[in-house]
Amino acid sequence: MRAVDIFIQQILNGLSIASVITLIAIGVTLIFGLTGIINFAHGEFLMIGGIVTWLAVSAGLGFPLAVVLAILAVGLMGYILERGLFRFTLERPTNGFIVSLGLIVVLQHVVVLFWNPNQKSIPRPLTTVWEVGGVRIASVRVMVIAITIAVVALSFRMITASRYGRALRASVEDRDTAALMGIPVRRYITGVFVLGSALAGLGGALLIALFPITPFTGGTMVMKGFAVALIGGLGNIYGAVAAGLILGIVEGFSAGYGFSQWTDAYSFALMILVLIVRPHGLFGGTSGPRMAS
Amino acid sequence: MKTVLKMGASAALCLGALAHPAFAEDNIVKIGVVAAESGSFVSAGHTLPAGVGLAVKQINDAGGIKVGGKTYRLEMVKRDDRTDIATAIAATQELVRDVKVQAIFGSETHDFTLAMAKITQPAKIIHFAGNSTLAKILTPDSVKPGGEDHYLFQSEPQEFQRSGSTARGVLTLLEPLLGYKPKKSVMIVGNDATGQFLSSYYYKALKAEGQDVPDIIFYPPDTTDFSPFLTRAKSLNPDIIHFWYNGDSTLTALPQALELGAAKSYFLFGVDPGIWKEKQLSADVPVAMSCVPVCWGESSNPKAKAYFDAYFAAGAPHGVTSSVSLLYHDYVHFLAEAWEKAGSFDPDKTVEALLTLHHQGVVSDDLTFNPTHQVTHATEVCAAAPGGAISCSMQQPPAEAPKS
Repeated sequence: MRAVDIFIQQILNGLSIASVITLIAIGVTLIFGLTGIINFAHGEFLMIGGIVTWLAVSAGLGFPLAVVLAILAVGLMGYILERGLFRFTLERPTNGFIVSLGLIVVLQHVVVLFWNPNQKSIPRPLTTVWEVGGVRIASVRVMVIAITIAVVALSFRMITASRYGRALRASVEDRDTAALMGIPVRRYITGVFVLGSALAGLGGALLIALFPITPFTGGTMVMKGFAVALIGGLGNIYGAVAAGLILGIVEGFSAGYGFSQWTDAYSFALMILVLIVRPHGLFGGTSGPRMAS
Repeated sequence: MKTVLKMGASAALCLGALAHPAFAEDNIVKIGVVAAESGSFVSAGHTLPAGVGLAVKQINDAGGIKVGGKTYRLEMVKRDDRTDIATAIAATQELVRDVKVQAIFGSETHDFTLAMAKITQPAKIIHFAGNSTLAKILTPDSVKPGGEDHYLFQSEPQEFQRSGSTARGVLTLLEPLLGYKPKKSVMIVGNDATGQFLSSYYYKALKAEGQDVPDIIFYPPDTTDFSPFLTRAKSLNPDIIHFWYNGDSTLTALPQALELGAAKSYFLFGVDPGIWKEKQLSADVPVAMSCVPVCWGESSNPKAKAYFDAYFAAGAPHGVTSSVSLLYHDYVHFLAEAWEKAGSFDPDKTVEALLTLHHQGVVSDDLTFNPTHQVTHATEVCAAAPGGAISCSMQQPPAEAPKS
């Protein structure tokens, strides 16, 4: 295999890593950046999305329908948890953070209780592998990249160009004034939380299409999601996408050419560096919303 | 009121009798288990209580153990270490100080066991662990009476033995399937204490078998996307990629390796053929698998099928490395036999008995501990041909570690 083929293969590898990380990062950046809720259980939302997909596919449903179910189920879970837990912590984000840490353990153990701790996997929804020169391109990875691009474009448009997005951004700037202008801030917070959760559900469905998952898969993914959200700038979808790409390529290249065992360390070192040099992220973002009084 | 009190007292007595119908409280011997029943090491961890629990049930169903003229029933008290060393230490302290177990099994995570031994050994608790890393501390000095690890036993062969038999088995089984003698191997290994320890021995074992090993690629624990690591391995054009550790990661990596066409054949450490069949895995190139120590799903060991039938019938999950349970199951029976032989639960007499017994287990008809409290037995290696046929063979360990 030629060196140039290896190089191109590593770029493609990086792109598919970036896709799932970007999906989780968008959820994190929206929820953390726009509502102030620090939900470290977001990785478990992703895991639940994967489990729902696995259950649906195991029950004989097709992958597309399973994806829809995962999005709906995790979105509904997000709604229930925001209404039932996180809304009581909005004025004390540290409490919300602690609640989310507890949720990690609870959600993992609920899954272990009902479906055991072993790996879950589904048959590849797409099995074709194209060979171009010496480079192998798996169609399932192309599918994941394409879905991510579509979802990112949709989310970006919704936040930047829609009436809902404008109101949301106004709420981030100044919640009190936004409320005085008639924007139902609390309802918008719920909406963002549900949207971010649904994206995690989609991420989980796409993740299990690529790799087996376990009840403990969420932990690593959420750390990377937070790293990407912070590198890109909180609340900045464009930043999350760019940072996701940077992180994916850094991971791919460090595993391929550097000290492979340090792959995660490179990513988090980059995050630390960015936070020191540019506290609002590479592409600028909110520093988290001011809390409602 | 008196009637109510009498009824309450009667009910309490009845409930107490139901809890232990045949044995009084002082006729129960508690055996502790510390294992990862959650967290990243769960696939190996959950085999431990399952294996110990099955042995405890078998012993109790057969009437318990007779020690010093009395019959005792065994009771397993298990604790989940959540793949967290601090939790493992706390659980061990609780089992030793509060629960007052007579013996402890675990943990399956190598470095955890070393920490646990710091609690079990001063307390004179018989401690079994299927960790080859124990070789670091099991020395003639440390295991002698009064030594700091006198009550510690390693129920997995020494790593040069396991690595040596595995490497030889993999190369022997893959050669006819490849149609030529493989020359170049690349290892892909999880970068934690266990992975680093195990891979250092396996690397030497491969070299001793004449393999060119240009790279050992370490990946961070919890990796799910192996494509960058596999692409790196592919660039070295290997005959075999050896996924040396651990089973869950290996099963995640293999489909990606097949998709990338990373090598001409593969070896999966710690993956039972049973899971290969159950998940209906297949490959267009030969794939070797090794079990720790006897395979579930396809085995040349005549006792294996009956054991795994009983193991799963008792409710054990169908895990990637279900065979790891045998590093513990046999030693509960071994320990029970030692207590009966010693005629006492005295830890010193028990150690003496353990060192002189020849136990007939599932893994081997002649399980014994050497003077440094370590077992020696064969390791089973299997290979799946393209198309699915699986063949297995027991590989005897080398007599000594390779020089280098």
